[in-house]
Amino acid sequence: MQLDDAAAVAQAKGGDQEAFRVLVERHSRSIYRLAYRMTGKPEDAEDVVQETFVRAYKQLVRFEARSNFATWLYRIGFNCSIDYMRARPHRESAEAHDTLERLSPGDSGPSMDDRVFAGQIGEKVQDALKDLSPQERAAFLMRHYHGCSIEEICEALGLKSNAAKHSIFRAVKKMRVALRPLMNARVES
Amino acid sequence: MSHPTDDDLILHFYGELPPGEAAQVDGHLRACASCHDAWSELGETLKLVDAAAIPEPPDGFERVMWAKVQQTLPAPRRGSFWNWRQLVPIASLAAVVLAAVTLSYRAPGKAPAARPEMAPMVKTVADPNRTSERVLLTALDGHFEQTELLLTELLNAPEDGAAGFDYERATADDLVASGRLYRMTAEQIGKQHLAAILEDLEPVLMEIARSPEKSNRNALKSLRSQIGDDDLLFKVRAVTNEIRERQQEMITTHEGSL
Repeated sequence: MQLDDAAAVAQAKGGDQEAFRVLVERHSRSIYRLAYRMTGKPEDAEDVVQETFVRAYKQLVRFEARSNFATWLYRIGFNCSIDYMRARPHRESAEAHDTLERLSPGDSGPSMDDRVFAGQIGEKVQDALKDLSPQERAAFLMRHYHGCSIEEICEALGLKSNAAKHSIFRAVKKMRVALRPLMNARVES
Repeated sequence: MSHPTDDDLILHFYGELPPGEAAQVDGHLRACASCHDAWSELGETLKLVDAAAIPEPPDGFERVMWAKVQQTLPAPRRGSFWNWRQLVPIASLAAVVLAAVTLSYRAPGKAPAARPEMAPMVKTVADPNRTSERVLLTALDGHFEQTELLLTELLNAPEDGAAGFDYERATADDLVASGRLYRMTAEQIGKQHLAAILEDLEPVLMEIARSPEKSNRNALKSLRSQIGDDDLLFKVRAVTNEIRERQQEMITTHEGSL
């Protein structure tokens, strides 16, 4: 019978790597999705997933049994993603510059209808996410995709309540600006 | 109420407004067309975010990821605590045998008589100091390895008191007993530096042996501080390496003499 998270964590804490394997195999896809949204690249997402589990293993003794393992892992995943993006600032800023140009309303690429209806929404959203700072992106993704409360975001990212809220506000405003052409195209179509 | 700000609408979208304020905003949105439009636009934009597909990792991603993660995890201990713990009585027995061998060589009139035809071989093998040293080094190799494991366990033990301390205490007790016998032997054959290290280790091993049954923050802190202040782990590792080099050297010399 497959171990549940609590039992697997308890055994892994005792040094049982087989129990930790159960946790890695169970949660690696959801951490991948999170990491992909944060980093925007499959290969970077894979690096983040690996680092997340390595950190989780090292910090397992600090995990409290009453907590939810998946939530705890998400926090580590977000922090790993932020560290990862901070470690590659040049690459990030070059991409952000490129993104700003591509997202500007005067974009002269293929028509917006084509993009929308060709199913490129994901790409556009991912581009918009890249334009956010790591902190804005993490706060927004935690709130929007993972339903984390402001309190949980503060705890995970080490922010005060106002800072967490303002990160989300800025993120949503930037997303609105970036996605407005898509919205307009949808309305026109 | 006055028009809600964009920030209010965002908080409302995510359900972060207190219930009273949320009800007021809902009431306002029903009555104010421009705010209602802003609210709808916000909702549509964020729906678009939801529609963004994420590329799924390939089949077998989980297994590949585990293989990558496993490579970077610390290696499993060289045997469980039970296993190395069980070696301690054997080491103690070795210490007694070693002491007996050494004392028998030292006792007057007890030197083994070599038969004439065996003389060359006996001369090589039965050099009392050399034999004692070899036996001592073999015993100390295991003794220091167990000491290193014990100290490492303590340095990595959780501070919350959840871990029992029984095995560590019993192990330390055994190591103190065998360490005294090894120290006596080391002094007798002139290996003063080995005796000195065993002497350095004894106080901390005694403290571990006398520590409370359940680890607690203060006891652990004190032990860790003692281990760290005296560089005990470093000394133990260094002397273990030295012993192994010496053992290798003795094997080489012995093979050369044959």
